[in-house]
Amino acid sequence: MLHMRIAKRQEPLGLGGSCLVLFLALALSLVLSGILLFLGGTPPLEGLATLFYGAFGSRWALEDSVLKAIPIFLCSLGVAVAFRLKIWNIGAEGQFALGSIGATWVALSFPDWPSFILLPAMIGMAMLAGGVWGLIPAILRQKLRTNEIIVTLMMNYIGILVLDYLVYGVWKDPSSYGFPMTPEFSDNAIVGKIGSSSINWGLLHCVVLGTFIWGFFKFTRLGFELKVSGDNVAAARYAGLPYDRLVILVMVISGALAGWAGFLEASATVNRLQPSIIVGYGYTAIVVAWLARLNPLNIGIASILLAGLRVGVENLQLELQVPAAFGGILEGLILLTVLAGGLFTHYKIERRRME
Amino acid sequence: MSTAEPLIRLSGISKSFGSVCANRDVSLDIEEGKILALLGENGAGKSTLMSILAGQLQPDAGSIFLRGEKVVLDSTEKAIACGIGMVYQHFKLVRELTVTENIFLGTKGGFWLNWAKMQDEVTQLAEQYGMRIDPAAKVADLSMGERQQVEILKLLYRQSTVLIFDEPTAVLTPREAENLFLTMKKMISKGKGIVFISHKLEEVMAISDNIAILRRGSVVDTVATRDVASTAELAGRMVGREVLLEVDRVPVELRQVVLKVDNLNDELLKNINFELRQGEIFGLVGVAGNGQKNLIETVCGLRKPKTDCIKILGASWKKFFSKMRWDNALSYIPEDRQGLATCQGLDLVDNFLLTTRGGFTQGPWLLREEARNKASHLVEEFDIRPPNLDAFAWQLSGGNLQKMVLAREFYRRPRLIVAEQPTQGLDIAAAEDIWNLLLKAREAAGILLVTGDLSEALALSDRIGVMFNGRLVDCFSSDDEAKVAKIPQMMAGLVEESSSSRR
Repeated sequence: MLHMRIAKRQEPLGLGGSCLVLFLALALSLVLSGILLFLGGTPPLEGLATLFYGAFGSRWALEDSVLKAIPIFLCSLGVAVAFRLKIWNIGAEGQFALGSIGATWVALSFPDWPSFILLPAMIGMAMLAGGVWGLIPAILRQKLRTNEIIVTLMMNYIGILVLDYLVYGVWKDPSSYGFPMTPEFSDNAIVGKIGSSSINWGLLHCVVLGTFIWGFFKFTRLGFELKVSGDNVAAARYAGLPYDRLVILVMVISGALAGWAGFLEASATVNRLQPSIIVGYGYTAIVVAWLARLNPLNIGIASILLAGLRVGVENLQLELQVPAAFGGILEGLILLTVLAGGLFTHYKIERRRME
Repeated sequence: MSTAEPLIRLSGISKSFGSVCANRDVSLDIEEGKILALLGENGAGKSTLMSILAGQLQPDAGSIFLRGEKVVLDSTEKAIACGIGMVYQHFKLVRELTVTENIFLGTKGGFWLNWAKMQDEVTQLAEQYGMRIDPAAKVADLSMGERQQVEILKLLYRQSTVLIFDEPTAVLTPREAENLFLTMKKMISKGKGIVFISHKLEEVMAISDNIAILRRGSVVDTVATRDVASTAELAGRMVGREVLLEVDRVPVELRQVVLKVDNLNDELLKNINFELRQGEIFGLVGVAGNGQKNLIETVCGLRKPKTDCIKILGASWKKFFSKMRWDNALSYIPEDRQGLATCQGLDLVDNFLLTTRGGFTQGPWLLREEARNKASHLVEEFDIRPPNLDAFAWQLSGGNLQKMVLAREFYRRPRLIVAEQPTQGLDIAAAEDIWNLLLKAREAAGILLVTGDLSEALALSDRIGVMFNGRLVDCFSSDDEAKVAKIPQMMAGLVEESSSSRR
């Protein structure tokens, strides 16, 4: 029997302590994944080094990680907004799909508009489509008391199937030799790259939107009201806040941000709509939001970390024949250890006094 | 004092949290067959002391003796094994399970369960202590009083010899409280020792054998109850200065009607009619559960009335709440400070902004710095501790949290105040402060005071209304001695509704 007990801290852990806990949690997840690599017959240190090098070790790898971090960041920013209100939107994947569909519709319908009109129109349509995909579960939740977790999850499948229907059917490029994809967008509908790098201007969108969301929660009255509603629904009603409307608002914002990510992925990364743009960014976004404790700056860091994991695992697969599923395992381990480490911010483990 | 060893002897117990000393050299005896009342202001160290007895906290110094033998209570299991049981203010029951299931939960036994036998055991045990409870009932369906009985039965089944009651009557109706006292008497007659924590001095005087008074972490007084002359004397000993329970109520000129309820009906309320004017306190008394909650929630905008029967500051209910100003309007001071009036996970500035945000808004922006300055003035003015605006609401004691809510609500300069059990759970000094605040506030506002404490209602109110079974049985001036004498009967529904209740 262990003579330990868990006691609540009088004061939450400070910044330094929190960083230490986070670092130890990450280290633990690496040790655990090292053991897994070892069991799979791969030398663990070499495996982890390959993973790291593959993610951040070269200019190409770093750029690829940042490129993948962009949609993850925007989706995560979106779900974090909903999570603040304790609305468990796990539908970023579907909202992302709808966003890409909305943007594609504008791009295919008005290819000749000048880009300074076409791009904002695509963004607007992507936000609208993603927002509607968030609005539906919000209304169902507030009016019919459905569970938003189930509904947003189910709507992911619907959203992705709608995308499939379009690219296999009406929007299929006649010259694609039967591949399910739309024609390539006109140049006016493409978000360009920054200088000579492979990173697109979507990175700037992330910085602007992240700052906007941060400021929104910190400085505006509406942001404050959302914070209150997230902490205590009864107090929100007591203070005269329109809780139902706030729930709908956050779900629309959440969906719109995921929709924006869908726009960037279609416009900047693949320059068309095709089923392969759905690779689970919307689910990784949930992991990122939790790791970052819903803070926009942390979401940025965690996005790059988990995007790097995706890129690094490809390298690991190529060089050491480790299965791709290892990336998912590592992602899960990181989430588990970091969440478990969160215990230490409010509790401490004491040694029981012996008789 | 008897020559036998006490059940529990606390000797020189000290406990600090950081620089805060919660208990300093506390020595107490809990004797067999006696009820020890523990009195003290909020934050005097009662909870810490009880947590030490329950094995949740370890003292920094001092020892605990069980029947003369030194024990170390280093876990809750150990405390239970030593026969120490706690009845907490917030019950620790599984709502979805039955009474019997809750009582046997966590006790050791074989793999197979014999429910019929277990239910019989529960019934028998309950009868021994004068409790009547259906062992097969689901806890969720029980009243607060019955739930408390389940908590007590849990301890009795575990053969606890020392039972600690933390403000047990706070959630009970007067009748349920009486039953509890009978049960407690039965317990001591069977040789158990009881610690009774309460703020209600009458109860302490009525039930206890000995009284220990804690102030700032130390026991300042231990006295046999029969040696205390009156509750006033007890109150004096408790706060260290003579407290006048009678507050000075100078009549204020009545002005315009701020609240008019005209034939309010819902599933519980029947034909509620009354008016409230600026300059008066209207005290609504009655046993909890007779419609006060519905009435308050409707007046405060949390529950929609079926018909257009309420006028607040001259506007219809719908119009008033659709465009309610943050100031010069309605302030609601709810009974549930933790769950309704504050956000436990937010700091004091955010909690201050909760209802005053309208005054610190410029376009879409919230002027947090300005709010912070205001809040820091209020923290000083109302003596809220700790005086740290970055503290979270959950870190404040009940009394300080209530002061924070009051500071915030009075800052809004309300013209209609609904105060629900405003001093419940508070010590006398804090309650007195709040009474004076309310009396002063009525110069600019009409106050609807809903309280279960008759002496509070009588001390503060200009007019009294009695509620029973969803009806406003009678309204009268608090100077009307004949009517005041009849309040208990009215609360019990023994008086016919008089025609004067319609005014």
